[in-house]
Amino acid sequence: MNNKESRLQQVSLIVLRTLVGWHFLYEGFYKVIAPAWSREGVPLGRWTSAGYLKGAAAGPFAGLFHRLADSPWLDKIDLLVMVGLLLVGLSLVLGLFTQAGCLGALLLLALFYLSAIPISGTAQTGAEGAYLIVNKNLIEAAAVLVLFAFRTGRIAGLDLLRARSVAARTEAVAS
Amino acid sequence: MNLTPEEEELGRRNFLKAVATTPALAALGAAAAVRGPVRGGPVRVGFVGLGGQGRVLLGETDPAYAQVRALSDINPTRLQKADEVLAKAGVPPAKHYEDWKTMLQKEDLEAVVLAVPLWMHAEVAAGCMEAGKHVLCEKMMAWDAEGCRRMLETAKKTGRLLEIGYQRFYNPIYQAAYDGIVKPGVLGDVFHARLVWHRNGPWRRKEDPPSPDFDPSRWGYPTFDHLINWRLYWKYSQGLLAELGSHQVNIANWFFGATPEAVLGSGGVYRWTNEAREVQDHVYVTFEYPHGRTAVFTSIESNAYDQYYEAYYGTKGSLILRGEAEAYLFDEGDAKKATSVEVSAKGAGPVTEASESRVADAAGRRASGSKQGIDRLLAYRNEVSEFCAAVRVAKPLRCGPDKAMGSALACIAANQAMEKKSRMTIA
Repeated sequence: MNNKESRLQQVSLIVLRTLVGWHFLYEGFYKVIAPAWSREGVPLGRWTSAGYLKGAAAGPFAGLFHRLADSPWLDKIDLLVMVGLLLVGLSLVLGLFTQAGCLGALLLLALFYLSAIPISGTAQTGAEGAYLIVNKNLIEAAAVLVLFAFRTGRIAGLDLLRARSVAARTEAVAS
Repeated sequence: MNLTPEEEELGRRNFLKAVATTPALAALGAAAAVRGPVRGGPVRVGFVGLGGQGRVLLGETDPAYAQVRALSDINPTRLQKADEVLAKAGVPPAKHYEDWKTMLQKEDLEAVVLAVPLWMHAEVAAGCMEAGKHVLCEKMMAWDAEGCRRMLETAKKTGRLLEIGYQRFYNPIYQAAYDGIVKPGVLGDVFHARLVWHRNGPWRRKEDPPSPDFDPSRWGYPTFDHLINWRLYWKYSQGLLAELGSHQVNIANWFFGATPEAVLGSGGVYRWTNEAREVQDHVYVTFEYPHGRTAVFTSIESNAYDQYYEAYYGTKGSLILRGEAEAYLFDEGDAKKATSVEVSAKGAGPVTEASESRVADAAGRRASGSKQGIDRLLAYRNEVSEFCAAVRVAKPLRCGPDKAMGSALACIAANQAMEKKSRMTIA
């Protein structure tokens, strides 16, 4: 391993990847286990993307996403989002197929961003603050872009083991 | 006990001031440990007994918490009325069963809400728990001490939840009164509680049989009147003590942190002597609690001026909880003025036909100027929802069999004391 980054830079990148990965993983897990109950005894109901598509969707593409919420494909969209979040989350936390995981994350974040681009500059439904153009989805996408650019799979994670076993096999064949 | 509008206003403000300091959400802080959600949808429930009280609970069942799968009642008219309740709530209709045992066999239920006549509580509740169902059973717990013990033991043996439906435990006013006033000792030493439930009427229901050939004798009721007016016959009922008194005694037990040790009583059928009726229409009962504390319960069916309330008289203050909807607190300092009884005009507000305990004859009327109380039905809604939460995430029950048995034994003993005209010690 001939990484050019300093130790601190490497640790920072892996921390960033783990946090983003956990965020995706838990969002996926939460949607998959629903319907569920909070420990305080409040039912959480079944998850569907319809609420977000209908309620939060804003900006130039809002109409398209509103139509999706009423479309017969809603079940499939829900499933894709849940599975997508879980797979991306696992990939980033474990550092397995990290580059593919980053691309998946970018795709999902792009969809979430495009469905609700903050153009009004006022507080939006379901958001805890007021945003103009830049919101947390966009920032998270930028963070994933950094992870993608630095190929964090070669710093730490299962990709490293994968690379080693490939290298070992190549060596064995060569000798 | 009737208060002038000024006294009501003063007492209400005192109450709100006293309870405002309670950290209502303190419990949440304790539960702040990181714990994710628990998988599961609404609890699958069936209802047994859909008379007035069963239908109140049915109407207050939040579909997010419980899915009503089936209804059981021996009277088909009641099932039809229950369907109307479900339709009004906008939830899908449920299957009908005459026999609750068939319902348990055919339906995939997790829990049963039980509102059958008192004499059947022990049999149906125990049967449901034996079949693996959690049970929310209407009050009073059971017709006799043996029935109470059977229910308690079955709950322990089967590990099923058993909640007895004392809705005051789920009423935010009672919870605030306990947490903000009773528990911190705002009232000082409380030696006396007055429990009052006065109504003016025969307590008799008038209803036609579902069909001319309807024969309730199969279920142990010789005539349709015995079924529809089961509250008035000793075989099925424990009279005013069970239907009204046990609510208030149960709260006295909670507030005193004890159960009564002995009871004295007098009463009888004094007014409705020409009616087919066995249980007393006037009862005057004294419950002796440990440490010299006494609760006096009166229930009469000849005058509704006092309506219904519970008053706790302490060395430092008085707490009055009226009609499950209003609360007043008076400091002993200004007691002379604020707690004196004065006559106030009574407004005939809309009658809430919501509970067996509150028939439309008289007690539904409310004193004037009392529009700031809470919606009584909220307590029933909380009761069903919290029961479901207990089933799903083991949220602790507020009135399990241990607590409910305390008030049931006291009320059963009170009837014995009246019958034998002697002081009864309570086991």
